[in-house]
Amino acid sequence: MQTARPGSTIALRLAAIVVGLGALLAIVFLLSKNGQVSTQLFNGLVLGAFYAIVALGLSLIMNLTGTINMAHGSFMTLSGYLAFAMVSRGTNFWFALIVAPLMTVIVGVLVERTLIRPLYQKEPIYSLLLTFGLSLMAEEIYHIIWGANGVPFSPPPSLAGTVGLGFMSFPAFRLFIALVLLLMIAAIALFLTRTRFGLRLRAAVQDSEMIAALGTNTQVLYMVNFALGIFLAGVAGVLAAGLLGLNPTSGNTLLMPAFVTVIIGGMGSLFGSIVGGVLVGLATSLTTLWIPAASEVAMYALMAIVLTIRPRGLFGEEGLFG
Amino acid sequence: MRFGPTRLITVGVVILLALAPFLSPLIHVDISIVNEVLLFTLAAMSANLLLGYTGLPPFGNAAFFGLGTYGAGLSIKYFHVNFIEATLLGTAAALLGALVVGPFLVRRRGIYFGLLSIAFGQVFYFIAYRFTDVTGGEDGMNFARPYLGISNFHVTLHGSGFYYLTLVVFVASILAFKLLVESPFGRTLVAIRQNEVRVRYLGLDSNRFVFVAILISATMAGLGGALFGMLNNFAWPLLMDWHQSGDFVLSVILGGSGTIWGPLLGSAIYVIGKDIISSYTNLWQIFIGALFVACVLGFPRGILGSILARFGTAPLSNESEEANWTQSPAIAADHHG
Repeated sequence: MQTARPGSTIALRLAAIVVGLGALLAIVFLLSKNGQVSTQLFNGLVLGAFYAIVALGLSLIMNLTGTINMAHGSFMTLSGYLAFAMVSRGTNFWFALIVAPLMTVIVGVLVERTLIRPLYQKEPIYSLLLTFGLSLMAEEIYHIIWGANGVPFSPPPSLAGTVGLGFMSFPAFRLFIALVLLLMIAAIALFLTRTRFGLRLRAAVQDSEMIAALGTNTQVLYMVNFALGIFLAGVAGVLAAGLLGLNPTSGNTLLMPAFVTVIIGGMGSLFGSIVGGVLVGLATSLTTLWIPAASEVAMYALMAIVLTIRPRGLFGEEGLFG
Repeated sequence: MRFGPTRLITVGVVILLALAPFLSPLIHVDISIVNEVLLFTLAAMSANLLLGYTGLPPFGNAAFFGLGTYGAGLSIKYFHVNFIEATLLGTAAALLGALVVGPFLVRRRGIYFGLLSIAFGQVFYFIAYRFTDVTGGEDGMNFARPYLGISNFHVTLHGSGFYYLTLVVFVASILAFKLLVESPFGRTLVAIRQNEVRVRYLGLDSNRFVFVAILISATMAGLGGALFGMLNNFAWPLLMDWHQSGDFVLSVILGGSGTIWGPLLGSAIYVIGKDIISSYTNLWQIFIGALFVACVLGFPRGILGSILARFGTAPLSNESEEANWTQSPAIAADHHG
């Protein structure tokens, strides 16, 4: 059994994230004379933040219940489409950014309570297959409602244009996305380390039977944990819709990099998901710059290298998840 | 000789398959679809070896299937080999792929294995997708069906001829599979699924067994893939996508994992069902998704698994072992940490 991880370690890790991201941004500035490279680096960071958020949601669900949520991408797409439906009916973007993920969470909790819950006692392959089936159905349903082609979903005028920071200018929407995703990562870390509920969640990951015996309703934990993962997916889904486009499969295209992110970061480690996301994002965008044809394969190559050196991933705990 | 339910199934299925070219027109199914069922089954059986016997979720077997298809297709297109050579080269391509990714997969179990197999399988998909000059990329790759190539016997197989060749390969594979899972090697795989720690205490290197299981699994999938490629005279990247792997796993679960004939039953329902439903509506994906959900919630042991359980010859059921796991937390703790 792995040892308990004190909160201070997590605070240290949080500091490491901030320092690490700061260092990466510094590289961007240093290289800013070469406009192309710095742009790709920045894009890579934003992309990496997406992967990290999706991977975080996946890891939360996977760590506690052993469910590989294959429908995670579908929830992202759903949230994107809900936001699109609201905005195209005249709702304000900011409202949609909050409400669409919440509506997605409601759908997610319904699915978890009715369909996934009966499978918690069984082998993980069953919940994996179930969510896989759900994602197939969802894709076709989006197809029927919103059509096979992408729908236009653009960020609000206030986020259009660029923001100049002296050395270089960033597209405002990308900067906004980076900010929101960073805030969400920080909020999750604080929630897990500084609230009673977060502590229970982490304790349940280690030994859910013991937590149940100590008087915590583990079903509530499972539900809230799932909701949390879906909420992350939902927010990422709306932002991704504005940045990467919105079509029935758009969420699923982020799912595979998120899996690779989890593997690189190490299963069981939320911190690993964040670092892994940034690495995968950078690897993908930098390869796009130099060898466009290899952009998808780059992250798998990175994964193979990481696994060769560290079979459990960068921050994975040995023994956990076989 | 007593005729138990398993023997009855065996005899019935083989007779049914032998008569398929005459029976399939009665339900308006082309013989090539039945042929596809058999080849699909080879891939499903390869998934079953890992899932039903060794207890590993194989979500990358489509890559091995596709490697078989591309291996055969590329060797026909660029080296003009005959049918038998193409089959062997396709199978060898899959085996080679497994030799490359196997070492990464072999140390992991459970959902970790599942994730790794998805990710490594996807590598081959992207190679086929992006290496447009050689593989034709997204559009896929056409090639002609080659001569059979036994001595000077220059004949190209079509329709029922191709089907009977597939049937011979299929029956041989089923036999080999049965011998394999009943051999000490196969029993060790089952033991690894049930309690790997104990297998290790007995002095067996379980990783080595898992590695060989992956190689055998890939070879079987590759054999199916190579013949599948020559059946359609076409190879396309989506064949290697993880969705395809998911369909193989579904077929295993649907029919009954850990059984000899389960994959055939599951594949038959999947392939023929897809053929029939997609001729009426293009919403096939909703049906297949619903099939996943219904199968998982409704009959997780699979159709054949449930029937065999009723006859008392329960296959390697996952349910009863599940109970064992929860009853002995000491073993579970030992296993996990």
